[in-house]
Amino acid sequence: MEKQTVRDIPRRKFLEMSMKSGLLIAATPALMSRLVSCREGVNASSGMDMDKETLSKIITKALEKGGDFADVYLENRISRQIVMEESIFKSGLYGISQGAGVRVISGNKTGYAYTDEITEEKLMRAAEVASYVAHNGNKTIPVNISETSCPSFVTVKQPLCEIADEKRIDIIKRADQAVKDYDPRIRMAMVDYNDEIRGRVIATSEGIYLRDELPLLFFIVQAMSDDGKTRHMARERISYHSGFEMFEKVTPETVARNAAREAIAMLAAEDAPAGIMDVVMQNGWGGVLVHEAVGHPLEADNIAKEIGTFTGKLGKKVASDCFTMVDDGTLPGFRGTINHDDEGTEAKRNILIENGVLKGFMTDILSAKQLSMERTGNGRRESFRYIPIPRMTNTFIDAGKDKPEDILSSTKKGIYVQSLSGGSVNPVTGVFNFTCREAYMIENGKKTKPIKGATLIGSCMDIISNIDAVGNDLDFGVGICGKGQAAEVSAGQPTVRIRGINVGGSKG
Amino acid sequence: MDYIELAEKLVKKSISLGADAAEVFLETNRNLSIGVLKSEIETIEEASSHGAGFRVFVGNKMGFSHCNDLSDRSLEDTVSRAIAFAKLSSPDENNVLTDDIGVTAAKDLYDKSIAAEPMEKKIRMALDLEKLAMKDPRITKSAGAGYGEGESEVFIANSNGILKSYKSSGCSLGVSVVAEKGDQKNTGSEYCSRVFFKDLVSLEGIAALASQRAWELLDPVMINTQKASVLFDPDVARSLLGGIITAVNGERVLQGASFLKDHLNKQFASSLLSITDDGTKQKSLGSAPFDGEGVPTMKNILVQNGILKSFIYNTKTAKRAGVRSTGNASRGGFSSLPGIGTHNIYLEPGKHTGKEIIAATKKGLLLKEVTGYGIDAVSGNFSGGASGFWILNGEIAFPVKGVTIAGKAFDILNGIDMMGNDIDMNRTFAAPIFRVAEMQIGGK
Repeated sequence: MEKQTVRDIPRRKFLEMSMKSGLLIAATPALMSRLVSCREGVNASSGMDMDKETLSKIITKALEKGGDFADVYLENRISRQIVMEESIFKSGLYGISQGAGVRVISGNKTGYAYTDEITEEKLMRAAEVASYVAHNGNKTIPVNISETSCPSFVTVKQPLCEIADEKRIDIIKRADQAVKDYDPRIRMAMVDYNDEIRGRVIATSEGIYLRDELPLLFFIVQAMSDDGKTRHMARERISYHSGFEMFEKVTPETVARNAAREAIAMLAAEDAPAGIMDVVMQNGWGGVLVHEAVGHPLEADNIAKEIGTFTGKLGKKVASDCFTMVDDGTLPGFRGTINHDDEGTEAKRNILIENGVLKGFMTDILSAKQLSMERTGNGRRESFRYIPIPRMTNTFIDAGKDKPEDILSSTKKGIYVQSLSGGSVNPVTGVFNFTCREAYMIENGKKTKPIKGATLIGSCMDIISNIDAVGNDLDFGVGICGKGQAAEVSAGQPTVRIRGINVGGSKG
Repeated sequence: MDYIELAEKLVKKSISLGADAAEVFLETNRNLSIGVLKSEIETIEEASSHGAGFRVFVGNKMGFSHCNDLSDRSLEDTVSRAIAFAKLSSPDENNVLTDDIGVTAAKDLYDKSIAAEPMEKKIRMALDLEKLAMKDPRITKSAGAGYGEGESEVFIANSNGILKSYKSSGCSLGVSVVAEKGDQKNTGSEYCSRVFFKDLVSLEGIAALASQRAWELLDPVMINTQKASVLFDPDVARSLLGGIITAVNGERVLQGASFLKDHLNKQFASSLLSITDDGTKQKSLGSAPFDGEGVPTMKNILVQNGILKSFIYNTKTAKRAGVRSTGNASRGGFSSLPGIGTHNIYLEPGKHTGKEIIAATKKGLLLKEVTGYGIDAVSGNFSGGASGFWILNGEIAFPVKGVTIAGKAFDILNGIDMMGNDIDMNRTFAAPIFRVAEMQIGGK
């Protein structure tokens, strides 16, 4: 069974800031066209400007042998990565990746072929290969494609393509310096700056024809501490669909100091205890737990295969009354925000579990059809090299009523988890694991000594029934989710308490 | 397209555009993947692709760029981007390219017959595999079966006169099934990957293992939190040894980010532990005549009888450490810079059969699955989720699920007191079963 992973990092004040930028939505279309107009280098002629008639021809070709649905996906991605380690630039990377794929769905079958040359000839050939699965299928007449509009939840003030590389380098140097300045026990900083502009063209046999571009910034600072006895590698990440103004909202120094703080705090860590105990998870990052333990099992592909943990449980009580879980691809500027998914379905706010009752699954076109359910806008793909599958966007436990300080003070003994390295889940059995990055003992309702990276394990159904306190302090973190292919996501939660998780410490 | 000629031309082009030294990495790929579910085709994906990566130096400042549009205009633009990036970078005297013109005689890395086998046969194999894995009545559902294949050709040229290429292939078959009993649910999967199509093992063998893994852990018993022996099955050896591989990465060592940084030529583990990395092995998916930057691959002994013998390096980190590259530059394709990685890594087998090790264990946990990140290569701490079988008085007593295991890497590695003698060398990460005398286990 494929395992799914998210690596995650705390991001304070994430929600608040993004909500502010949300006020700029009205200005988006103009800004987007400005972005489009400043494509770099040779890419204006990369084939992304393929006309409607050609796209229609390819769709028609794809459905020639039969099939229920076909789409053409063109993609162009310009990316930059600059890495500094030990205060030396380790690498500067500039990449252009482009290509296109043709997909045919016939019954439960999917045929797919892609090419990195976006030409009519190559795509007609891909259409033929993709249609292999459809030789006995239904005949479908494609709807003529016409420009489709879709609201945008991404605003850009300083387009990435107008930013000189010197500015990027300056951001990295500032973060490196701030890590080193934090404490003499900091041995090294690793700063990883990434940005990209991903252009998409989607044309489908249902008549959808969408073009857009999404900028994405991803900034990671790691800090390693060493006091001669022990070492700890700490990490902080931020990411937005945004222009370069992201670094005005969250300065590189803030990111750096958060990483350095964790690196120093954990030098004092003692061995963690082993066995079943209560766990309080701080708001923000911990959303990775619901992302893994509950989110993946709520993706509709395994439900359609009738093997998922939640198979047959729609409308039933599956979790505590205080547990509400949402996936929302429209949170302004958030890392998991998509405007529309990679199949052209508009992004939505989807309530998955409400007050403990299972309300819905996250679908793509195929699983929605198989389950006779609504399309939720979760059909995502890493690139043109992959077919779309149901994926999360921004997934979170919705805020509750408890005060975070009350949750802690009412917990006699247990573990307070401040950040996780990440985790994985088996979506069929719902069995998950997470590794703590920064955690503390709880003794008599107070956070006490730090403890070394312990693993938390359990099963999805147990955990959502055992959450007995949900705070009012919803916050988010960012990560990369892997499910055979990567997707950028955010995950969030308020402070929550989970009764009885198995903690893998080395102290008996 | 003549890629060899193109690679040479692009090195010259880089120099004429202002680079003092340059490396061009070209790659072509062809892939096919077939997925089946419930005796029907689920997906068929097919593609071929190519791309170019440029590592250029201006003085000793480095820049990198890549593209998959191999038109003259795009290539020239991409090279220029790398040069511009290099100029902004910081100087590093270790930024050098290899001048080693050697290649290793790693034989039989490419099977041209894979592509010639008919599609229908490959689909049939996946369908049959799924059917066979569903045969046992305890297996209630299929999570799918699949066949995949790929071929690639790599070309490396640099301004030190290196010009090398090689072709490789691989194919694989796998299946995943579910066993259910009451409210219990368990998955089991198995796959087989080979360089040559005809070397794929029997469908029956793959199916039987996947099926057994799904049902054998039904009806588990929860054990108490305690210390006991822990037996690592070959399938889970990686959970413990993956951290060692990261910790012997020469760059991590130089950065001080490895728990093994001060242990070269010292005994840090049980004398039963010997680890070798071999990039030259015939017919192996991890082998290559040269590494990701053109240095000939080698067979490197990393750990011998518990003594750390060598770290692994690419050209840049070797220069910094004042040693020679060990041929361990790894590359995730044309779009990535050379990092450091292993080829075919294996544990030297010991004397005991698996049965003997179980029989010699009074109280212990035979691990079948370990989840989590394994050993933290920086701090040397280990913690993971685990399932497997409880051993009592030398016999398997009952299945165990939902427990944890943890400890410090040095304690665990020194605690290895029995090493098995049965090893499947077809895996790029091969280990026999071995036993750690005592570890902390977390249960109820």
